[in-house]
Amino acid sequence: MSVEQIEREFGRLRMNEDGTLGLRASVLNLVAVTDEASAGEITRVVSRLAGRFPCRAIVMISDPDEETANLDIRVSAFCDARGGSGSQVCAEQVEVHTEGPPAHHLQSLAGPLLLPDLPVFLWYPGAFSADSAEFSGMADLADRVIVNSGAAPDHGACLREISGLAQDPAMPAVGDLQWVGLSPWRSLIADLFDPPDRRGELGQIHRVEILHDPRGESRALLLTGWLAASLGWRPESARETDRGREFAFAGPSGEVIVALDPGSEDASLRRVRLYGEELTFQVSRHRELSEAMSTVMRGEDLLGERTVHLGFFDQDIILGEELRFRGRDESYAAALRTVVEMIDL
Amino acid sequence: MAETQVVRQNVLRDEGRLPPVPEPGAMVIFGASGDLTARKLIPALYDLAEGRRLPMEFAVVGISRTEMSHDEFRNRLRDGLEEQRAGSVSEDVWESFSKGLFYLPGDSKKPETYEELKDFLKKLDGERGTSGNRIFYLSSSPSLFPTIVERLGEAGMSREDDGGYSRLVIEKPFGRDLESARHLNGDILRYFREKQIYRIDHYLGKETVQNILALRFSNGIFEPVWNQHYVDHVQITVAEDIGVGTRGAFYEEAGALRDIVQNHVMQVLCLTAMEPPVAFDADSLREEKVKVLKAVRPISEDEVGEAAVRGQYDGGWVFGEEVRGYREEKDVAADSETETYVALKLLVDNWRWAGVPFYVRAGKRMPKKATEISIQFHKTPHTPFSGPDTEGLEPNVLVIRVQPEEGVSLKIGAKVPGSGFEVRSVNMDLLYGSAFMEEAPDAYQRLLLDLMLGDPTLFIRADEAEGAWSILQPVMEGWSKDGHAARYPAGTWGPDEAGELLGHDGREWRRP
Repeated sequence: MSVEQIEREFGRLRMNEDGTLGLRASVLNLVAVTDEASAGEITRVVSRLAGRFPCRAIVMISDPDEETANLDIRVSAFCDARGGSGSQVCAEQVEVHTEGPPAHHLQSLAGPLLLPDLPVFLWYPGAFSADSAEFSGMADLADRVIVNSGAAPDHGACLREISGLAQDPAMPAVGDLQWVGLSPWRSLIADLFDPPDRRGELGQIHRVEILHDPRGESRALLLTGWLAASLGWRPESARETDRGREFAFAGPSGEVIVALDPGSEDASLRRVRLYGEELTFQVSRHRELSEAMSTVMRGEDLLGERTVHLGFFDQDIILGEELRFRGRDESYAAALRTVVEMIDL
Repeated sequence: MAETQVVRQNVLRDEGRLPPVPEPGAMVIFGASGDLTARKLIPALYDLAEGRRLPMEFAVVGISRTEMSHDEFRNRLRDGLEEQRAGSVSEDVWESFSKGLFYLPGDSKKPETYEELKDFLKKLDGERGTSGNRIFYLSSSPSLFPTIVERLGEAGMSREDDGGYSRLVIEKPFGRDLESARHLNGDILRYFREKQIYRIDHYLGKETVQNILALRFSNGIFEPVWNQHYVDHVQITVAEDIGVGTRGAFYEEAGALRDIVQNHVMQVLCLTAMEPPVAFDADSLREEKVKVLKAVRPISEDEVGEAAVRGQYDGGWVFGEEVRGYREEKDVAADSETETYVALKLLVDNWRWAGVPFYVRAGKRMPKKATEISIQFHKTPHTPFSGPDTEGLEPNVLVIRVQPEEGVSLKIGAKVPGSGFEVRSVNMDLLYGSAFMEEAPDAYQRLLLDLMLGDPTLFIRADEAEGAWSILQPVMEGWSKDGHAARYPAGTWGPDEAGELLGHDGREWRRP
């Protein structure tokens, strides 16, 4: 199937019963690179996303290890009726299955299929190798690369690799779905210190406890990296404890201990507790997981509490959040740098 | 020795991706037993709380004369919330949010109510950490506004000398006419400074209305043709298909001119005609809007008959439903002459718009709900295509649809396929509202958040409110001498006289 045939097919798919064309509203190009095992899930995520971010989505399903060259292309359009007139607005998806030698040249397939004049988001939902020629070629097409540091089995290596990417000025800006997933937590923690009379406590934090599930250490590390980078804590030492790991930092007001406890079984992050000079601050995920409670305590006295919706963590929603952002995220880069320092201890 | 106060920053918030959360504070709602509190304000605040946009240290204190306990007030608001957000209210979030809802029964005319309120707010500062920040939301009858403001001032609650802020929110209408608007502003300004006052017209909180600014000032292709050199005239339509419903008593007092034209229509006119502001901030934006209002040529009383039309709907059919006439509505006088429809011809006397009429209309019981701005361009000076080939070819029209189906359509001439050179008008539609399928926040949610964050950009300044009344004052005075409103059947686009308003100029209304 040629590029012209693909474009013609899209036109046909957008055609209404009366012969008129459904509108194509596009705000971006999204290129997802995945493998056969994850292809079904990624295609579903992209389809769900199309309802909120009409785009040209190109799902590259590649198996470069096959010896025989194979190329299979499918196109589909997702059209919704909008407004009183029932006008159809369509988003488009191309699935490119490629095996063997063409899988080493994905950019040659993706490039001609991109809609002009719109930003290109390159999404690696799973593992990736930043050093590979394939990654480099695809990154050349992109305005922003989106990865998921929580998806890699070796999270230390993955965070280090992403940190390298984020610091490389030759690379497009990097986004991380795990960082997006942390946003509600970061926002809730920041909220605790908004009242002017509590801001002083920020500089007095001497202990942080993070309860996470065993697979969520990467997320706990990233949260710690953010706190440390924001508050000027320098990683000093790390040790294993009965309950997990403990990091010691040199903070502006003295030593700060961050204890990571993988004792939660049902949430990648369950609870974050920060101990200040006088007050203890806590954000904890609710029983039903969709909500979180923040509390401020002075000793045994409850000074304030609130419950809020923590947000939705479906992959398409997290990805949608990331697609809103353009440019480099300095907070994220600083958090990553600190995490790498922590891992190196 | 003087103590130096060190203002510490919350460095955790020092990044662009975390949304700003307002400072702690208490919102006092006068007229809290009314409809607006239960239907709009509390649902909007609940949504903000659920979405992590309200601080932990936030409280609402409702005041009205109805005797109620805190719990009865909460239960009432909960019922209202269920009506608005059926099935989507989280028990845990409500429990947490409702702990910050309080009620004080009291007569807003009596000074002792304010002493009690002051003590109660002080107590909340200690117990809930509301930090001395106050918002006074006047949701009561407009006739009580001056009294409430005076009592607040006398009780010292308009002062900001303790470091906390004190903000006053006034719901439209901002007066009944120019004189009452000036009085009201004068009364308020005796106790509050302009920067403390937030006049709310929820229309400006709508994403779709804000998009007029985005369309005009973020797209370079429109601005060069947005002037008298290219534009023949502009039509602004704010049409509703509904009648007055249960608001008959209110409408008898207000009419379409005060209810819709003075605020919504004038705001849309300003956004359409204004010069580009240097920044999207309160002063820059409102300065440009006021310039437009000042540039609108006053309609003298003698000209009212030619430049203004009012109408009132009779019974008729709206989308297959037979509906009663205005005079048969509940709480409406059988001989009422209150207008449910207004059409005006306005001229904006400035360099950009000299000679370009702005025809505006607003009405109830129109064939459909539609808000749109239609920019009608001049005809081409010459067409090389001969007579019959260009029949049906009309000048270009750019329509900005605010609702429903937010978007833009451009009418252009295109060749009909085949031999010869037949040219016809074609409508090109762009539903830009559908490009981002995010659910737009409710207008009140947006405005309440701006209010708490101290951003008055989308609120009305005193001179704006007065400027809009200045334009309409001669019309109201003219109409008060001639009591007749032309009739139009429900389900039509207004009285015949409205057609003549444009007909005299050789133009006609666009059908939305």
